[in-house]
Amino acid sequence: MTICQFFLQGRCRFGDRCWNEHPGAGGAGGGRQQQPSGSNRRGWNTTSQRYSCVIQPSSFSKSTPWGGSRDQEKPSFGSFDSGASTSRNRGFGLSQNPFASPSSDGQKDEKKLLEGIIKDMEIWESSGQWMFSVYSPMKKKPNISGFTDISPEELRLEYHNFLTSNNLQSYLNSLQQLINQWRNRINELKNLNTSTTIALLSDIKDGVNQAAPAFGFGSTQAVTFGSPGFPVNNRSSANAQNFSFKPSSGFASAPSGSPSVFGNPPAFGAASSASSAITTSAPTFAFGKPAVTSAASFSFKTPAASGFGSPGFSGFPASMAAGSFGAPGAPAFGSGSSVAGFGSLGSHSHTAFSKSSGNTFGNSSISTSLPVSNGSTTTDNDLFTPKDQLTGEELEQFQSKKFTLGKIPLKPPPTELLNI
Amino acid sequence: MSLFGTTSGFGTSGTSMFGSTSTDNHNPMKDIEVTSSPDDSIGCLSFSPPTLPGNFLIAGSWANDVRCWEVQDSGQTIPKAQQMHTGPVLDVCWSDDGSKVFTASCDKTAKMWDLNSNQAIQIAQHDAPVKTIHWIKAPNYSCVMTGSWDKTLKFWDTRSSNPMMVLQLPERCYCADVIYPMAVVATAERGLIVYQLENQPSEFRRIESPLKHQHRCVAIFKDKQNKPTGFALGSIEGRVAIHYINPPNPAKDNFTFKCHRSNGTNTSAPQDIYAVNGIAFHPVHGTLATVGSDGRFSFWDKDARTKLKTSEQLDQPISACCFNHNGNIFAYASSYDWSKGHEFYNPQKKNYIFLRNAAEELKPRNKK
Repeated sequence: MTICQFFLQGRCRFGDRCWNEHPGAGGAGGGRQQQPSGSNRRGWNTTSQRYSCVIQPSSFSKSTPWGGSRDQEKPSFGSFDSGASTSRNRGFGLSQNPFASPSSDGQKDEKKLLEGIIKDMEIWESSGQWMFSVYSPMKKKPNISGFTDISPEELRLEYHNFLTSNNLQSYLNSLQQLINQWRNRINELKNLNTSTTIALLSDIKDGVNQAAPAFGFGSTQAVTFGSPGFPVNNRSSANAQNFSFKPSSGFASAPSGSPSVFGNPPAFGAASSASSAITTSAPTFAFGKPAVTSAASFSFKTPAASGFGSPGFSGFPASMAAGSFGAPGAPAFGSGSSVAGFGSLGSHSHTAFSKSSGNTFGNSSISTSLPVSNGSTTTDNDLFTPKDQLTGEELEQFQSKKFTLGKIPLKPPPTELLNI
Repeated sequence: MSLFGTTSGFGTSGTSMFGSTSTDNHNPMKDIEVTSSPDDSIGCLSFSPPTLPGNFLIAGSWANDVRCWEVQDSGQTIPKAQQMHTGPVLDVCWSDDGSKVFTASCDKTAKMWDLNSNQAIQIAQHDAPVKTIHWIKAPNYSCVMTGSWDKTLKFWDTRSSNPMMVLQLPERCYCADVIYPMAVVATAERGLIVYQLENQPSEFRRIESPLKHQHRCVAIFKDKQNKPTGFALGSIEGRVAIHYINPPNPAKDNFTFKCHRSNGTNTSAPQDIYAVNGIAFHPVHGTLATVGSDGRFSFWDKDARTKLKTSEQLDQPISACCFNHNGNIFAYASSYDWSKGHEFYNPQKKNYIFLRNAAEELKPRNKK
């Protein structure tokens, strides 16, 4: 087959349906379960390409009808997620160099994000849409601080209450205050100076490092999370749940900061969503395998019984007791079967991932450090290596800005070196 | 058979019966107008379940009342009964056997209205207005689920004054939908939680919102085997997200689309963006309808990812919508939704509920 030129440029609008060959993505559909260990490309980047090409059709087909049927002339839905969301994919898709350093990609992402925010603010102001709404620059990111959520019904109820108590003036005053607050915030975001930019980016970044479940808890605070999910930081109760989720998401929330860690999913057979850092798949694939142990206690284990449409990670909900994400985290890893499961998986994909930065840390932390740490009593040791257990070389690797190929430590980093 | 089953008939009869003048734009689609509509904004609409012969429509309004009409096949609407709350009614739903109607109100209570005896008793209590109410019928239990601005989701056995179960929400409940065994709740601060209702309700998954702004309405859709498989979520920013719970390929299967905007797909000129006030899925075809603050309703086919139809613009926002049990009737309410604040509130303006024949227009497009 001929190679698809548009795909190479990162803008093939037919995606899977394309009649031309998409190198790198061709193996994605069939070989999702296996990580080609002998592939020339770095394991991680193949994955990123795989996902980015899947996302691309939707993000790039702005003015064209949805590429499902090429000859379709019917009125189609408006553009999908144009604007800020494409910036992220563009960062991966267009960079032809699979060895592009994460930092420059990150900077590009940031810039695109900020541009997206400015654009969104302008649209918000000019479109006459409802003012009192939270906002997030990209879907699956936390809300930006400074905006409050008030539904029209709540506002109307306030109005009626004040009316009946003959206190309309105070209603109007507080309304005016809210409007001013909103306007100020919008202007702040439109004219980004350095301080707001820094605050903004920390808003977003901290959310980025967050494992998926943290999002749900983080939203209890009206503002941002701040905590990247490691138990070192003690914020609200949200952290307790974050932490207990740790064992499974050990590889999900690597401190490397880049969303690359989520490239793991295919290795574990989870057809999880894109490379965005926060995905619901994080809990999904983590529990996908050890679900055997916890699913038994849950009526959800067979898709048929569950009644939900398509079968999937039905074992997953074992963890979802009312509101608590953490529950099966410990048992899932405590039982021998699941550790073995991860151990074997870890080793299977080990070779493929050993080349990519940051991942090996995540993977092998499960396969190697857990059996070791089971003997220790403190929970910290389950996840982090005490400094004295690291060799000089490993310590050096952790302390440097990036891992060097071939020297990536197999143990998780010590708590002391973590930058939260 | 009944006129509701055929395609023609309503347009013409509508005009002759109500004779709206050309300057008055309250009913540009020439749909059937429900008689004695509520005196204030209509917050919610609900049709009777298939267990009840005929079609009965319930509407809750900001005039603190809940009204019931019988909708006959000829299109005639007969007001049947009315109940009052001490605060505006935010949500209504029917029990599965069609004998009771549950109403949720800003007076922090929910009531059960027995239609046969025309008595209403309180069955639920919250610390803040109750925003959503749904009836859950499971093989081993039945209950009423109420979501409130007090950040809790409570489940009530109608016979007891204590809730069977209380689940904490991350934020105020803004909208919810239930199709057994799945329930979806969307909260403030873009919170989104899916519950599974087997054995007893429990949280299934918290989902990062696919939308960037405030959640406004949510509706669950089913797959070809009639099992709930995902939901549509609407926001104040003229956008709806279609989200599957366990899709084979989330990046491709889940998507969002823009709607209720003034300039169509022309993204260069500044658009007016309106909130999506309600989403409803056609019970037979699986296509969906959205209604917005712009005063229009639109029909969409989410599988073919196309728009089927957009209505003319009404002079007021459309605040609620609903299909009847067999999908022949589409009801939508034209009343002010507070999307522009108190300045645009005109208590004198009449509020309407329109009925439209939905059997033909919502047929899905054939995918090529």
